[in-house]
Amino acid sequence: MKVNKTSALIAVAAIALAAILPMFISNNYHLNLMIQVLINIIIVVGLNFITGLTGQMNLGTAGIFSMGAYTSSLLATRLGINPWICLIAAVGMGFLIGMGLGYPSLRVSGVYLALTTIGFSEIVRILMTNLTGLTGGALGVTGIPPFSILGHKFQTNKEIYYLYLVIAIILIFNAYRIVNSKWGRAFLAVKDNPDAVEAGGINIASIKILAFTLAAVYATVAGSLYAHYVGFINPSAYNLEYSINYVVMLVIGGIGSVPGNVLGAILVTLVPELLRFMENYYWLVFSIITLLFVIFLPNGMVSLFKGKKREEKAGKGAQANGR
Amino acid sequence: MQVFVQLLITGIAMGFIYALVGIEYTLIWNATGLLNFSHDKFILFGAYMFAGTYVLGLGLPPVLAILFAVLTMFLFGIVSAFVIFNPLSKLSTNLFAVIGTVILGRIMIESVRLIWGPLPFTLDNFLRGSIHFGSVVVSKAHLVIIVVCSLITAGLQVFFKTTKTGKAMRCVSENKTAASLMGINVPMNIAFTIGLSAIVCATIGILVIPIFNVELQMSSMIGLKGFASGVIGGFGYLPGAIVGGILLGVVEIFGSMLIPSVYKDCLSFVLLIIFLLVRPSGILGNKR
Repeated sequence: MKVNKTSALIAVAAIALAAILPMFISNNYHLNLMIQVLINIIIVVGLNFITGLTGQMNLGTAGIFSMGAYTSSLLATRLGINPWICLIAAVGMGFLIGMGLGYPSLRVSGVYLALTTIGFSEIVRILMTNLTGLTGGALGVTGIPPFSILGHKFQTNKEIYYLYLVIAIILIFNAYRIVNSKWGRAFLAVKDNPDAVEAGGINIASIKILAFTLAAVYATVAGSLYAHYVGFINPSAYNLEYSINYVVMLVIGGIGSVPGNVLGAILVTLVPELLRFMENYYWLVFSIITLLFVIFLPNGMVSLFKGKKREEKAGKGAQANGR
Repeated sequence: MQVFVQLLITGIAMGFIYALVGIEYTLIWNATGLLNFSHDKFILFGAYMFAGTYVLGLGLPPVLAILFAVLTMFLFGIVSAFVIFNPLSKLSTNLFAVIGTVILGRIMIESVRLIWGPLPFTLDNFLRGSIHFGSVVVSKAHLVIIVVCSLITAGLQVFFKTTKTGKAMRCVSENKTAASLMGINVPMNIAFTIGLSAIVCATIGILVIPIFNVELQMSSMIGLKGFASGVIGGFGYLPGAIVGGILLGVVEIFGSMLIPSVYKDCLSFVLLIIFLLVRPSGILGNKR
């Protein structure tokens, strides 16, 4: 794998900044936001595999995330299982969902797939609200234990931040490797030209299911991390709005690029907080800003940095196609 | 027996609402190739415009208020066509279009919250009460829904088959290049289609006021179920949306007799997924 020096430097600087920053922050709410950013980064990096690279519209993130959160928290609270094992169980749930949602994506695509995933997510939400015996219904699950290592419980926000930072860095690095591997190129090719992919001897079915599984596993892991961090979950928040938020992060940051995903997750989580001084109007202003971004900068923030290179390439490609 | 008839009428009335939702987004889908994910907010906007501004705010009689609400929504549709839908339909993948319409919906719901406030309200004397046919009791709202919706669907069919504008709209949805070569102003035509869709949305919003009250979440479920009804009947095909909608309404109301009624909302999504997997083209979708 070729890593050029500047991007490696930027990555190291970003990690160092992320590690140092909490030392200067004593406000618990700000730390809470930073943990939320880490969790969102994990989800968006995962969503990038299926929606960003493979081009399959997934609007079911809320359903997948809450399945992860519920799997993990129910095992921990009802059966008293160690949170780490619950996390592994959440990964297993991610596999199952990925396979299950990947299968329809073989038959339907585009808008149909978006509707299928919305349907899945709504079914999950309705079941979680109404299967009161299993999930606690609208009141949710309370008293979810935090993670612990060798008897040390991660309870303060600062400790949790560092633990999740390590997990997030591993997952981001992993995603970066996958995006720049044979798999990543196959994902991109499925988006650009499925017929050519098939002619090239790559099995589209397995590639799509793989992308879905990766996305689902990342989302369920994030769900599990979230549940063990806040200690309380209920189903009411996980509606279509919630899923859409992650696609917005993906688009704002830059589709297909892992650094872009990270940037998008940070911006979309923090900018609304910066706009809070507008009180009642902050969400309206933020929505208008995002709309302008989508119309005028559809390739996201990263296209500002490497815009020229991309445009040149795209221009050549278009000429070669005779357009 | 009378329970059966009453349930059937309720089911058909809800089915007609889903059918209209199906029609409203199918119009935009056919004209621009975009799925309008903000359509439930259009419905919401229509309802608030009618109830909040024209009836409670200005104190107009309902007939005049309906007229004004429909007119305002038509203009709103045309403006949003030029500002949002036309730029979005030029972008490369439909991912951006999905996000664009979704965010339009967010902006609309925030505006609604800021303009009319977050508290739910209702109109007391609007389509309340019930009518007796022998031993069968039918609520006035359901009856009006059935009548108005049948008139709209019939009217739209006539409009598309006989008028010049309607024919031009069908032409644009078939082939935009050919349409513009035949001298049809395509952007104008698309804007008109979206305006028409906004009118249908406003009508839905006004009709469901007696059933759901006027509140910020009033249309999110019917919006999603409208998507389901379109897929079940045959996506992108107007008669399909009608058949799918009515089927969904009736299945839902009788299904809730068999399963606990809290799972009623699940039923339409389960049907949606089954249809997508088994017969993605829908019941009437043998055109494609």
